[in-house]
Amino acid sequence: MNNKIPNFVKTNQFGLLILVIVFICIFSFSTDGFTSRFNIYALSRVVALDIMIGLAMMVVILTGGLNLSLGALGVSAAMFGGWCMESMGIPISITIILVLAFGSFLGWINGFVTVRTGVHSFIVTLATMSIYFGFMTLLTEAEAFRKLPEAFTDFGSLKLFNKYISPLLIISVLTCFVLYYIFKYTDIGRKLIAAGANPDAAELSGISVDRMFIYCHMLSGFLAALAGIMLTARIGAAIPSMAGHLGFDWLLPAFLAPVLGGTLLSGGKVTVFGTMLGAILVTLINNGLYLIDVGEFWVRFFLGIILLGAVLLDRAREYFTVKNSIVS
Amino acid sequence: MSALLKKDWFGLGLVLIFGSILISLFKPAFISPFNLYVLMLSVSLMLVVAMSQMIIIAIGQMNLSVGAIGGLVAISFTGLMEVYSMSIFPAVLIGLLIGLACGFINGYITVKTGISAFIITLATLYIFKGMNLGITEAQPFYEIPEAVKFFGNAKIFGPIPYLVIIPIIITVLMWILMNRTSLGRYMLAYGNNVQSSELIGISSTKIVIYAHVISGLLAAIGGMLVVCRLQLGTPNIGDSWLLPSFAAPVIGGAILAGGKVDVIATAFGVILVSIISQALVIFKIDPFFVQIFLGFMILLAVFINRYREYREERRTKVFSDE
Repeated sequence: MNNKIPNFVKTNQFGLLILVIVFICIFSFSTDGFTSRFNIYALSRVVALDIMIGLAMMVVILTGGLNLSLGALGVSAAMFGGWCMESMGIPISITIILVLAFGSFLGWINGFVTVRTGVHSFIVTLATMSIYFGFMTLLTEAEAFRKLPEAFTDFGSLKLFNKYISPLLIISVLTCFVLYYIFKYTDIGRKLIAAGANPDAAELSGISVDRMFIYCHMLSGFLAALAGIMLTARIGAAIPSMAGHLGFDWLLPAFLAPVLGGTLLSGGKVTVFGTMLGAILVTLINNGLYLIDVGEFWVRFFLGIILLGAVLLDRAREYFTVKNSIVS
Repeated sequence: MSALLKKDWFGLGLVLIFGSILISLFKPAFISPFNLYVLMLSVSLMLVVAMSQMIIIAIGQMNLSVGAIGGLVAISFTGLMEVYSMSIFPAVLIGLLIGLACGFINGYITVKTGISAFIITLATLYIFKGMNLGITEAQPFYEIPEAVKFFGNAKIFGPIPYLVIIPIIITVLMWILMNRTSLGRYMLAYGNNVQSSELIGISSTKIVIYAHVISGLLAAIGGMLVVCRLQLGTPNIGDSWLLPSFAAPVIGGAILAGGKVDVIATAFGVILVSIISQALVIFKIDPFFVQIFLGFMILLAVFINRYREYREERRTKVFSDE
């Protein structure tokens, strides 16, 4: 037990946790309204989505790939859900299942093309990003679905725990635990990690690497679709532009959370709770920057600086741990 | 002849010629002077952007910040002329310097930290774009000197716009760089295999920084050309560059792992994308289809490249068996 504590201190997650606490302290002392019930509730709604997006990217980064189509995929799935509920009158529970299946299918396309062509998933998802988004805009004629069932939109504005927390955050945290369980304790989860860490070795030990990579992309599509549903519930409508042009607004949080959380871009390592902490940190900083009033146009600039700072810090940490381990 | 057949640009060239003939048979408006003029303008702009991405693909990296550099330079260029009433020449020079600096930052951080260029340029994408929005507060600059407007819209003769001059010069220079200079060959060697290129004495630092600086300069030129064309400097210049910047080199047969790019094939890729976009407009197809089409084009190119590699592998295998 005693050995475990310093190990945890050395990890990325611990550094993140400290940063999160430091930022919470800074913002609650330096700004009015950071700790207000309204702000915490608003934060919990935003952070729920950022966690989900981060996880969706994380499972593809596991393969050493990327998923640029994340935002386009999530919005396409959400629009499909809006269409099911508003135009077809399909009940909410069945709609959600259909949307998740649809998201997984779009993810399967990404994975299938990547595996079959052997091209880096960056270029494949760059192409599918514009295909998904183009089809979605074409089919919906860029019109939003605003008359969703009340039970669905009410869920998005529900307030729990003395009106502090949104139920969306609970979904995200639960998803974290489920993913953690899958990657840590199930056969398939270990196979996914093995395939990402060393494809050749995994192939030799009888794992079908291609199939594992396709599963990762499907899982990514599933999580992105879930994020799409959550965003729809939060806004109360399914809007084609809700993740920006081509879904680009989702990309920065999608990369920030796993990278801050210590997920290796070369693949083979996942940190579910690191990604969660990363997403919390990003949301905190974003929210804090607005409260400090740096001007909304500079927020993007600071987020870029923070991403750069985070990867550089991570690099430095790696460097020093290697150096220390050589010395000892 | 058989050497010609093996070139990346040969098949593309055939597709271009037959495609154009086919389209103009159906819609003679396709070869009207006005249409050719519009086509050449769009080719000119995208050519520079594609070259800016191509040189980074050559060293096996990616540059997501191409559009952000272009946008930042575009608004600096117009801002200097409008707010500080600077004359054109120094404004162009400062624009180029900004592009150079942005490229240098990308290259320096990438090579010194060893972090993937994807993440670095994603971060700088937000930094450059954030500076752009912070400076302009999302408002465009409208006061552009007449000479700049003239350069962006006048024709030399017939349907040929002045704007094509710079992209053609750049394409020729890029061809010389990639095919006839040691720097260009070093870049390809580095892209092909980092370890062995270092072992034969190629400096990684130098190669990566040079490539990113050239990419930044080209993005800057692209941004300023768009200003000439639009006659204003809007903060959203460059926002839509990402997909086409990868589309053209990939259609032109570039391998994203690095080490193989073809300048002529990339140029043909740009022309092909422009012709298809144009044809879709002429046939009155929904503009959103253009985007879908571009996506499918990339996938198709990827499959064709894969098939060619596969055939190549099989052929060499047969020989080795004998």
